[in-house]
Amino acid sequence: MILQPLSNWLSGSGRFARRFEAARRLAPDGPLRAFYDAGYPTFSTPLAQVPLVALDLETDGLDFRGSAILEAGLVEMAHDRIFAGTGKRIRIRPPEALSEQSVVIHRITDDALAGELDEAEALSRLLPLLAGKPVVAHFSEIESGFLDAACRRVFGAPFVAPFICTMALENRWFPRQRAADGLRLAKLRAGYGLPAYRAHDGLVDALACGELLVAQIAAHGNAPTLGDVIRS
Amino acid sequence: MAMDDAPETAEIADFLRQHPPFGGLSDSELATLIRAMEIRYYRRGSTITSAGEPNEWFSIVRSGAVELRLGGSDLNARLGEAGCFGYPSLLRGGHAQNEAIALEDALVYRVAKPAFLSLVEAHPDFRAYFEIDEASRLRRAVDSLRATAASGRELQDLGAHASLQSLIGRRDLATGRPDMTVSDAARLMTQVDVSTLPICDGETLVGIVTDKDLRRRVLGVGLDLSRPVSEIMTASPVTAVAETPILTALITMAERHIHHLPVTDTAGKVIAVVSSNDILSQLGSNALHIAKAIGAASDSQGVAQATGQLPQALKGLVGAGVDADHVSRYVSTIGENAHRRLLQLGEERLGPPPVAYALVCFGSLARAEQALGSDQDNGFVFAPGYDPALHDGYFEDLARHMCDGLNAAGYRYCPGDIMATNPVYRRTAGQWLDVFRGWIENPDPQAVLESTIFFDMRAISGEAALVDDLRKQVFAAAASDRIFLSFIARSAATTRVPLGFFRNFLLHDDADEGRVLDLKKHAIAPIVDIARTHALARELTATNTAERLKAAADAGSMNAEVADDLIACFEFVRDVRFRHQAEQLSRGEPPSNNLDPARLSRFDREHLRDAFRLIRDQLDKLRGTFAGGVA
Repeated sequence: MILQPLSNWLSGSGRFARRFEAARRLAPDGPLRAFYDAGYPTFSTPLAQVPLVALDLETDGLDFRGSAILEAGLVEMAHDRIFAGTGKRIRIRPPEALSEQSVVIHRITDDALAGELDEAEALSRLLPLLAGKPVVAHFSEIESGFLDAACRRVFGAPFVAPFICTMALENRWFPRQRAADGLRLAKLRAGYGLPAYRAHDGLVDALACGELLVAQIAAHGNAPTLGDVIRS
Repeated sequence: MAMDDAPETAEIADFLRQHPPFGGLSDSELATLIRAMEIRYYRRGSTITSAGEPNEWFSIVRSGAVELRLGGSDLNARLGEAGCFGYPSLLRGGHAQNEAIALEDALVYRVAKPAFLSLVEAHPDFRAYFEIDEASRLRRAVDSLRATAASGRELQDLGAHASLQSLIGRRDLATGRPDMTVSDAARLMTQVDVSTLPICDGETLVGIVTDKDLRRRVLGVGLDLSRPVSEIMTASPVTAVAETPILTALITMAERHIHHLPVTDTAGKVIAVVSSNDILSQLGSNALHIAKAIGAASDSQGVAQATGQLPQALKGLVGAGVDADHVSRYVSTIGENAHRRLLQLGEERLGPPPVAYALVCFGSLARAEQALGSDQDNGFVFAPGYDPALHDGYFEDLARHMCDGLNAAGYRYCPGDIMATNPVYRRTAGQWLDVFRGWIENPDPQAVLESTIFFDMRAISGEAALVDDLRKQVFAAAASDRIFLSFIARSAATTRVPLGFFRNFLLHDDADEGRVLDLKKHAIAPIVDIARTHALARELTATNTAERLKAAADAGSMNAEVADDLIACFEFVRDVRFRHQAEQLSRGEPPSNNLDPARLSRFDREHLRDAFRLIRDQLDKLRGTFAGGVA
């Protein structure tokens, strides 16, 4: 994975607000427009008052435009807890057959995906689940990039959402020298005494990422606002 | 389904399925539980539940560790992975009685009250897990241990399902080479004192030479001693791997008419030679053999040689699933025999005793509850007519002979010098009574703590009536003294029972063993203390702990059910100790009471926790019953 520059944090919410509004105007009526109309909590809201959703996408590659989303796993959460019963999993039929390599990685076979939702249908299910809630992901460039590419394909409009990236947050709140793989989800979780989970199930990874955020906030101690943790 | 609205979150469901009582739930019940669940994370040191506050959650520790501080006491329960808390207040209604604190960063699954209660309602086994008291669980555990052992005994004889590994000592194995001369081989066998020599070409076993071969193939036929040993060895001998059950090995040897079996590791390298005698002695006869050998010993060294086989015998008994009470009684019997034989040998050397006396033993040997590695605790009680000026020289020598002999036989000198070699513990019955009266009438906490083992006394040799009469008078004096009883009860109740269970479970830093659980101090001694307190209060004649508890129940001093619970508990913790000691012996370590929690099976861990809870409750009760009388 190539790390994006980690320095493009917003000091305020103005730039994000402009991007969100611009995207809203481009969105045709339908699921994406409804997503934008739901808005998002202002960045000055105490995080304790903000409903969140942890999201993990399983994809068949890392290139936003050339690869497909195979599965989205998500679970609702708050700053200090995960609502374990809200887990959802959406499986998406990719435009092309899977590459052999990705089958190995994701333990998902073509057969398992046969008959799953096509991309447009999947987005129409997924977007309402994200509406109004900042999205928590580990290395959120993947989630934001793939959703943006998918929305552009399906709706002809970009996807802009407030993302909380647990990887970026770790670097920002707890900067230190790390091994090359020191920012991986499992490594960071271990550092917080969180249990080891099997990797590469969208729902489990979403849960794992959500738990990491809860642990990070607990370790940070201070009560942050949404703006303190957002990465846009 | 394209979109899974209530998918199983594999990590949560898998975790729950692995742990009782959740493993007994159906998939849909599990799903219901997870739907009502939230996941919380608590930093080390933060409070999860405060005592006295309403509790709306049933909690399961997913990772990390949680400490329960039990209503107003300093007795803490530590919960590790899969430990549950919060349910008593949900089941009983009302506020939380315990404060729950994260000992380590903890991930906790919390299930909302209504979902927990409806599952409890719908699922009898699930309900039983949370409602059933510790004592019943413990009794079931002991029963199941016995049942397992019993079924093992039906199939195989005593010790027979142990493997050859249990017979193999840690001594280095001497081997010969095929090209060495017959005379060199014979010399080597004499040097290392073996009757069988494996012959190896490099690491490969190629043959075996026995005493019998030297007789029949060399001496009997006048063979040239400079011939290579390969000419007289039995080539390509039958071997067995160390994992082979003893019974299987014995059958093999019987079938092939061989008396020596080279034992190899899995790689085929020979690591030992086992003889049919080794096997026969493992199969039970050695338990009897030791007592016989002690009786036949002609000196202290002979006694020590006989008791030296006790660890091996204990391994056999434990391996055969013999219950802890019988193992203890057996170990104690050997101890008594050693004391008696050493006294007899001393009397043979020094002449008959000039005045009637009894050897009194205190503590675990008196209670017939000895384990391996016990110290000595003994003294002499003299009949009237004892004159120190005339007689003490004799008894000092006799004591020296016995105590030195015991030390050589593995019963170490008492660190507190409670031994007949100490003049303080050579007294007439009347003088002994004065000492006891002093403790009873002027108790101070430290003295009480140090004197409790004297109240477990038994004559091992000599005039038993001297000790029986003394005990009767001591107990009568104690029973009528409420203040003394309250001190005894308090000294018992000061035992800190570790309710902690999981990785950093304890507790007690031992220089050699790191973090360890001291089974004797934390589990066995408190039960002994409880039984002793009741025995003193009711003048019970029994000295054995289980017998005391039964007698206490019969006398109405203790609820019969509580007595049963404590007996089951006592049996269980001693069972754990003996199995632990057998494992230590197998690893070539000296037996101890210190347990590495990491070596505990889940079964033992959970039931030890039950045992500790039960002990704690009974210690509290003891304090309430007997220790209330003093301001």
